[in-house]
Amino acid sequence: MLKHTPFHERTAALCASHAWRRWAGYVVASSYELVPDREYHAIRGAAALLDITPLYKYLVGGRDAARLLDRVVTRDVGRSRVGQVLYTTWCDGRGKVLDDGTVARLNEQTFRMTAADPNLRWLEDHALDLEVSIEDVSESTAALALQGPTSRAILERLCDCDLAGLKFFRITDATLRGIPVTISRTGYTGDLGYEIWLDARHALAVWDVLIEAGAAYGITPAGIFALDIARIEAGLMLLEVDYVSARRALVPSQLSSPFELDLGWTVSLDKERFTGRRALALEAGRSSDWRFVGVEVEWESLERLWADVGLTPRLPAVAWRASVPLYDGRAQIGYATSGCWSPLLKKYIALAHVRAAWSPPGTRLDMEVTVEHHRRRAVAHVADKPFFDPARKKA
Amino acid sequence: MSATAIVIGAGINGLVTAHYLARAGRSVCVLEANPERDAAWPDAGAIDPRVLRDLGLDTRVLSVAAMEPWITVPLPDGGRLQLHHDIAQTAAAIRHIAPRDAERWPAFCQRMHDLADVLLGLATAPPPDFMTRQPRALMRLARVAWDTRRRGRQTTLDLLRILPMSIAELLDDWFENDTLKAVIGAAGVTHLHQGPRAGGTALVMLHQHMGCPAGVFRPPVSRLRRALAGAAPGRFDIRYDATAVRILLRDGRAAGVVLEDGEEIEAPIVACSLDTRTTLLRLVGPDALGPDAIQAALAIRSRGVTALLSLRLADTPDFHTLFVGRDLDYLERAYDDAKYGRVSQQPWIEARVDPMVDPMDGHAHVHVHAQYAPHTPAAAAWSDSMREALGRRVVELLQDSVPDMPAVLDMSVRVPPDLGRAFGWPRGQPHHAEPALDQWLFMRPLPGYGYGTPVPNLYLCGPASHPGLYPLGAAGANAAATILGRAD
Amino acid sequence: MTAPDVIVIGGGHNGLTCAAYLARAGRRVLVLEKRERVGGAAVSEQVFPGFTFSVFSYVVSLLRPEIIRELDLPGHGLHILPLESTLTPLPDGDFLAQWGDHDQNRRELARHSLRDAEAYDEFGRLMYHMAKAVRPVLSMVPPDPLSLDPRELRRLLRLGTHFRSLGSDTFHALFKLMTMSAADYLDEWFETEALKATKSASGIIGTFLGPRSPGTAYVLLHHYMGEIDGVFRAWGFARGGTGSVSEAIASAARRFGAVVRVNAPVERVLIRDNRAAGVVLENGDEISAHVVVSGADPHRTFLHFAGEKNLPDDFVADIRRYRFRGSSGKVNLALDALPDFTCMPGNGPHLRGAVSISPSIDYLERAYDDAKYGEFSRRPYMDIVIPSMIDPGMAPPGNHVMSIFVQYAPYALNGGWTDAKREAFGDAVIDTLSEYAPNLKNIILHRQVITPADIERIAGLTEGNIFHGELSLQQLFFLRPSHAWSNYRSPIRGLWQCGSGTHPGGGIMGASGRLAAMELLRAGE
Repeated sequence: MLKHTPFHERTAALCASHAWRRWAGYVVASSYELVPDREYHAIRGAAALLDITPLYKYLVGGRDAARLLDRVVTRDVGRSRVGQVLYTTWCDGRGKVLDDGTVARLNEQTFRMTAADPNLRWLEDHALDLEVSIEDVSESTAALALQGPTSRAILERLCDCDLAGLKFFRITDATLRGIPVTISRTGYTGDLGYEIWLDARHALAVWDVLIEAGAAYGITPAGIFALDIARIEAGLMLLEVDYVSARRALVPSQLSSPFELDLGWTVSLDKERFTGRRALALEAGRSSDWRFVGVEVEWESLERLWADVGLTPRLPAVAWRASVPLYDGRAQIGYATSGCWSPLLKKYIALAHVRAAWSPPGTRLDMEVTVEHHRRRAVAHVADKPFFDPARKKA
Repeated sequence: MSATAIVIGAGINGLVTAHYLARAGRSVCVLEANPERDAAWPDAGAIDPRVLRDLGLDTRVLSVAAMEPWITVPLPDGGRLQLHHDIAQTAAAIRHIAPRDAERWPAFCQRMHDLADVLLGLATAPPPDFMTRQPRALMRLARVAWDTRRRGRQTTLDLLRILPMSIAELLDDWFENDTLKAVIGAAGVTHLHQGPRAGGTALVMLHQHMGCPAGVFRPPVSRLRRALAGAAPGRFDIRYDATAVRILLRDGRAAGVVLEDGEEIEAPIVACSLDTRTTLLRLVGPDALGPDAIQAALAIRSRGVTALLSLRLADTPDFHTLFVGRDLDYLERAYDDAKYGRVSQQPWIEARVDPMVDPMDGHAHVHVHAQYAPHTPAAAAWSDSMREALGRRVVELLQDSVPDMPAVLDMSVRVPPDLGRAFGWPRGQPHHAEPALDQWLFMRPLPGYGYGTPVPNLYLCGPASHPGLYPLGAAGANAAATILGRAD
Repeated sequence: MTAPDVIVIGGGHNGLTCAAYLARAGRRVLVLEKRERVGGAAVSEQVFPGFTFSVFSYVVSLLRPEIIRELDLPGHGLHILPLESTLTPLPDGDFLAQWGDHDQNRRELARHSLRDAEAYDEFGRLMYHMAKAVRPVLSMVPPDPLSLDPRELRRLLRLGTHFRSLGSDTFHALFKLMTMSAADYLDEWFETEALKATKSASGIIGTFLGPRSPGTAYVLLHHYMGEIDGVFRAWGFARGGTGSVSEAIASAARRFGAVVRVNAPVERVLIRDNRAAGVVLENGDEISAHVVVSGADPHRTFLHFAGEKNLPDDFVADIRRYRFRGSSGKVNLALDALPDFTCMPGNGPHLRGAVSISPSIDYLERAYDDAKYGEFSRRPYMDIVIPSMIDPGMAPPGNHVMSIFVQYAPYALNGGWTDAKREAFGDAVIDTLSEYAPNLKNIILHRQVITPADIERIAGLTEGNIFHGELSLQQLFFLRPSHAWSNYRSPIRGLWQCGSGTHPGGGIMGASGRLAAMELLRAGE
């Protein structure tokens, strides 16, 4: 049997589309409504409520908590302040990315780490001589994301904390109508938004208070389809879609270093030691072979391709996760791994891996498109990530 | 304080490494945790011929003693079997109880000796590296294969067949007599957490047989450690009561040693004769190691199963070395107990009268090796009463096997935790890493590392490295050769 | 039939495979099977009317994809049904289940150990690499490591190059896998006893070893070999029982023109001038052929069919030294209802998979201890399937057949396998299983107990060893069954071997038969 999140009683009742999918052994909604568009637009225009419970979460505490995390992740955890959230990768001994996630400093000696993959063993195996406790709270901690321009207003109505003062990538304790939660100003949409972390027993209660308070602000339960579009617009990568975990790679060509994923900024080489540091220091000295970039496809080119077969462009309504070749002339110089039509930007965009020489923004390349059973090429160019970066995100 | 090389541990291998480094002109400092004293236990094992040849040891101090007969075994019907250095004499002795086995004895001895000789060639050099891309190392690989092949089809075939075999199957192929098989079978499981039916135990017997004369399946004893220490003055310093607690690191490389009292000794080369886990996880520490190295170190199996008893007897018994173990099933049943975390109800034992002690007061000292005594019995950790119970069991077995067994005046029983503390044997395992096939040759001390470690300039020169415990001093000599080859 | 080019002694699956490939290449092939049906130890029989038993072997494990393709076995009736789960009941009423779905499997493992749930995937990845590294060896004719012949040296070099190409990490991991005990190997990865025991059980099947014996880890690869085979993964249950595998291969052989005769037991190989010249049947008939291929095990082939006096002394010594020591038994049951497992009551998907009685490593070791000293295991290891749950035709409607594979039942039982001992063994099996499924005794209509002595007598397997000889390291690859004669040939010109007593050995793979045929054709015989 697949697991139900603690919100399942609510989400199941709302899932008119019956479009479910698996995420980390749970079943979650791909979309709720029959037509998923509104859920996406809520992210950009109102407030979307997303069940993100399937994330793996670990509570790391004790005297050596920061030391343990610093052995594992590439960012400098020891230097973080209480209430700060770090986005980071962590790597194997060869400097290849295993996973990416966040480390939130809840207090001096307590951290909560999130990850896309289970990492309990990895953490424990690094804790050999340390005074630290590691608790897998993945199932006991429920999590919601409330993302969009009205998200702050909704939470301000409910919580007793200084929400306006909660800066980007900070976390605070709070109560929502008396229910204890932690709220972080983080998210996966590249917009103004919050993630709410709570004891699974309070899940339905928290869901209900949010829905009730958010009704006047356009709160809309949203599924993964909507989230996918938003995250691509935000230029945010997804494990096992945009990159293969070093844990799962079967051949060397499937491995990626943080530099190759445009995440060099998460690598603190002045940290004395962490797993993979030696290899990453070497790589930092030279140039990586691959880069992770944004790609924007020229509309006119798409129009021409479809016009050739007597049609207007038929682009998928839902984001795709596939491997799509990118060419320069005859040579393949990379591949896109996620893509979508952005309803907000009115552009066909993708996230892609390209060889370093083709990575500067503006570089022209061709993206493969299947038009009426034939493989064709559309004109595209490398674009800066994120595609969408509103001021309200950090305001 | 500084030197050009530090050796941690003044055991046989540590001292051998120190001697070779000093011979090559390095200034060596040896650090020994124990206060200076004689090792009470004679050193058992054939000695690496290079050590005898190169280091100019005082042979009187060395005192190699080969027992004759090398073993005495009580027979089921009440008689005794004695096995001698002289193969023909042994064959004659066997003929009384098993004529067909007597016929096969000389050929068996020759074959095992030839195989042990091949292994000795492998043992007295760093392990071959099958993965190497370097032309010189590839040449060496080819030479090893060629040398082996040149010894003849039979030897090469034996090597391929016998190495993975159990000692029980090997002996079943050759002999019928249970007693004979038990005596030799024990050589395949000495200090090992396996029974004679386990694969790889033939290799263990051959490992111990290296450097021994054909037909002798117990190692000689000597005072090698004392001789090595005695030859040190003028060559290098041995500091006793100097416990290393940490390896100094600079830029991730070994740069010296920190002692318990805080003193730091700098040196660009550190050779450690302790076991791999202690060296890497305690002296270096997980901070400086990647998860792969940590997991590899944790995975090393070193389960001690030996109890060493010292008995003081009222009189000299009528044997030199006595083995008690009826047949291979007896050995296997003794192991079965250990498998489930129990002390063997019916241990097999080998009792040796100490040849070095003059019986001036008429008392004899007998050292008894008993198996199996697991390091951490499932029911409870070792207590004095458990030690005493084991001691009583051993004495019972001796009394059952030896008519007119002299009275036991006193007895000390040391089980794996005690041996760990006394001799630095991790969990009571003198091989450091058990001599199993997957911990052999290029898999020692960590797969593919030779004598080095993930920490540059830190070397492992004790039995944890190739070739293991035997022949004595080989690991230390190989480590020194590696250090000298690399350091320039 | 005109005189055949090749006679194949034994209609087991390897003999049939060999015959099919030879016939496909245009040889006139005659297969002689002593029993009334082909298949050897891969047979389906209606021992009791209406109930079809896979009498001996009961799952298709690693039937080679190339054989399935090249002989078009599906076109000859082969239909392999998936065996997707394994249930390990535990004495305290709990259980460990391993499911086909990744998420479901993970969730179940996490119930026992979060660490093991994570380790499982990584372990699978490592095994994938190991299986990939080993796979070419499976379809390789073993070289002679002692020969100085340039062809053999080239083969050795190719083998060496293959292993060097794996890289240090993989090579060392493979070395560990090949030399360690299943228990030690799994201890490095997992903490759940039932998981370790169930996995390591594959290492003890058909061997005279326990999970703590060195040399049992590599058999863990078996299950993961199937991953390499990808969509061709043939780890499952053959519709109609394992006999249908043999029948399909026989059908393919016949389609290519081979003649398969049953009820034709061979007494010996005809030898003239140190050459095989045909065979003599037990009824005295002589059939000439200039090539004879034996699908029987090395003892039967050489000590019985060929005759010691026709063979060199050192070869005979080698063959005598080659160990069999059968240790497996079988209990086949006809049931009038389904077993009700205390840990998972009622009908359910678990009954469509395997049930493994392997609650801990110590349990398996104690079972092995009994065998070491000449007794059958009082509380044996069992691998149980209910074929009728997957293939309804195996039993009358509402009834079921249950196939119980058992270890250990040593061939050399103290006092020998008398009828009374057989029944006592059967009782021990039923008693043990009843601890987990208490209704068992009430639902048994008929029971058939097979001991190693029975396996030897009926299927012609020496000492009842199901692999034609132990799969221990010293009897594998170029040592199987003897160095210098591990290339399917024998010291007698024209006499070839194609059974599991040659590389790669093992279950119902067909690889030996195919490789033998290829070698034979390449040699121009």
